[in-house]
Amino acid sequence: MSKQYLTAHTVDQAHPTEIFSLAPTPTSLFSASGSSALRIHATTDPTFPLQQTIPNAHKLGCHHVCTARGGAGYVAATVGFGGEIKVWKCKDKDGNLGGEWALQWEMTPSSNGGKNAATNAPGRGRGVGGDVWAIALSTDESFLACTTSDGRIHVWDLAGRECIQTYETGSSGGGSFAMAVDLSRDGRLTASGHESGAVYVFNNDAGRLVYSLSGLAKPIRAVAFSPGGKLLAAAGNAGIIALYSVEHGEHVGNTKPSSDRPAWIMSLDWNDTGDYLLSGALDGRVKVWDPTRGICLATHSETDGALWSVRWLPRNERALAPGMSKGEMFCAAGASRSISFYREATGS
Amino acid sequence: MPLPSSKRRQRPISGPKSQVQGSARTRVLRRRQPLPHSPHIPAPSSLVSIPPQGSHDGALSQIESLLESILDAVINGADLVIPYQTARSSPGVSPAASGAGGARQMTTEVVKFPGRNIQEVKRFDALLRILELSHEALLTGNLITKRNIYYQNTELFRSQSAVNDMVDNLAFTLGVGRGDLNIVAAARGLIAGPIDVMMRNGATVHYGHGLSGGNGNLIPPINSVDKVDFHNTRWLLVIEKEATFRTLANSGYSSTSRAGHGILVTAKGFPDLVTRRFLSTLHSVRPQLNVFALVDFDPHGVSILRTFQYGSQRLDHEENVTLPHLKWLGIRSLDIMSRSSIIMSHSLQDPQSGDSQTSQEFSSQGSLAYPLGSSDDERPAKRPKYNYPRDSNESVAPLTRDDRKKAVSVMKQICGERGFDSAGLEQMQELQRMLMLNVKAEIQTVDNFGDIADWLDERLSV
Repeated sequence: MSKQYLTAHTVDQAHPTEIFSLAPTPTSLFSASGSSALRIHATTDPTFPLQQTIPNAHKLGCHHVCTARGGAGYVAATVGFGGEIKVWKCKDKDGNLGGEWALQWEMTPSSNGGKNAATNAPGRGRGVGGDVWAIALSTDESFLACTTSDGRIHVWDLAGRECIQTYETGSSGGGSFAMAVDLSRDGRLTASGHESGAVYVFNNDAGRLVYSLSGLAKPIRAVAFSPGGKLLAAAGNAGIIALYSVEHGEHVGNTKPSSDRPAWIMSLDWNDTGDYLLSGALDGRVKVWDPTRGICLATHSETDGALWSVRWLPRNERALAPGMSKGEMFCAAGASRSISFYREATGS
Repeated sequence: MPLPSSKRRQRPISGPKSQVQGSARTRVLRRRQPLPHSPHIPAPSSLVSIPPQGSHDGALSQIESLLESILDAVINGADLVIPYQTARSSPGVSPAASGAGGARQMTTEVVKFPGRNIQEVKRFDALLRILELSHEALLTGNLITKRNIYYQNTELFRSQSAVNDMVDNLAFTLGVGRGDLNIVAAARGLIAGPIDVMMRNGATVHYGHGLSGGNGNLIPPINSVDKVDFHNTRWLLVIEKEATFRTLANSGYSSTSRAGHGILVTAKGFPDLVTRRFLSTLHSVRPQLNVFALVDFDPHGVSILRTFQYGSQRLDHEENVTLPHLKWLGIRSLDIMSRSSIIMSHSLQDPQSGDSQTSQEFSSQGSLAYPLGSSDDERPAKRPKYNYPRDSNESVAPLTRDDRKKAVSVMKQICGERGFDSAGLEQMQELQRMLMLNVKAEIQTVDNFGDIADWLDERLSV
């Protein structure tokens, strides 16, 4: 059985330089690129118009943007190449949620590693060493997990603006570069993927490591919990996706590689029901996978330029336009600077 | 390999060349034939004069008037004074932007004798000695190296880097370039290629296709050069690594390149002033000579590229040392990403994949797992040791922490300039990719068992 997807729309040249990260909300899509501005496109309109541009968000460019998976869509976080983290909130004039996005607070590099509150103050917390790389927001939009190049994972409480947890994966700052992070939807678990090929799972309530998962020997660039929290997917340079059972901490299998030489996978995303996995790779191909059988259901590519980020759009009950199907949608972006939107081709 | 003749800029290539191409397809031993000279098309003159540079007279007269004022002070019993500004640039200021000393902080100082303390006395002594040596050098017309100065009196000068600093600061104070004081660094850069350099003292150096022994390939101080005959050369390639330079020079690449005759240069790593001034002058007297840079794909390589292009902060006061038209030939991210031997290729090295991949089902496989148990039998979670994965191609490696810091600092430098140009944008994008992939690659990445000629042919011909 394979699935059919059609290119629904392409936003050409959405950014002046290549796009490194995408993050959807129920009504819009954040995109971050090598240039300093962030862009937000509306996903409730079939032409995906530009809704807002945030100029000068990150002077050296932005490599990660995240929103809460399965969340309300009022909070977003971004990380710039200079190591600064910015948290954005969507509020209208009266302070109610919804409306324009504005900066809520910023963490400068020197304050990232600290355990104590460090709002814009260049504090010297412990573990200032590594630079911040990947981020993930909890579903209730109250916690932010971020990883650093020295293998640490910090969890921040956004309301109190303090770091409530730091997980170390190597002897004080000697850990392998943590390139990917994810929080389970129930907020209980944090997963990190590292350059060494290791995947770690931490229990946030207990504050400790629960699983150390091997299986992929090469750098991990993306980790993702399934929406139900039963499975954890990890992928990277090996070009295949490894799946782990969260309950038992076991490696349950890998996806079948597409060729002798599968390209590096840079991005992974589960759809809302947990039935399908999306992957984006450096050869420009976005693939839809069946995780239970490990087979690829569909492959699409616009160019052979690298794809840095792929995301499902949260399921919307309404069709985009009268007469259009309500099929599920996903998007992909990368070196071509365009954002491509695909929609499932349903019979009706 | 098809000859990109449609992309040739000026001179159509005649018969002998296509014969060479035919034999190229069947060649096995990779013995390259030197290309014949192009046929008789009236070409602009290949012999160019180097205009005298700098202000030697200015330096000489300033030194003499300074020495005179010191003599006067001795006679009158006043304090002896040497003006001495140490130029300090604030980090992140673009070299190009601070020409008139705009954003730089300068400590306007004088060094006095008798001094406030023993250090000042020693410094006065050292500076006076340097002035004396420079004066002598200017009068005789000889050049003196900084190394030579240091060895005149190692106890007085304390260290080579102290001498270097003093010489540069003196030059800056007097408003001249270091070369105007007839003080040079020991020659470091190398050059190979079919050009002739006529020196002001009458000697002619023919650099040749290969490497001659001894000092035959050293880049001379540009002030000693009177004329240069470029002959047929169309391109100039600056190479970061000496080893790559030597391999290419030894194989005579300057004359066997499919892109035409060219010049190979290396500064053996971070560019020195003599090499930079030489290249800058060559390009200004012959702008039609395309200049390219070949550096490693890492933050240090980009930093070297930018130093050739825009200069260094410390020596910002030096003139005629920049090469903004220098094009970045490689190594670029596309060299890593498009080569199937590197990013795309992985034999399935997953040790647990086994043969379960033949079926479409998963096999349940064990893994190192430390399940969360009750507090009784709980073990402290072990943190396993990791190995940095070694890619199949040894020339590609992960970035280190310092590499990443360096990349960010170079990016800040690029962004510091008001509205960076297309070269700056290109460098930003490559650095971002470097950080995203977390890899760096050496020049050796694109070679074919040590032979980089094919790759260069392709790139230089565009």
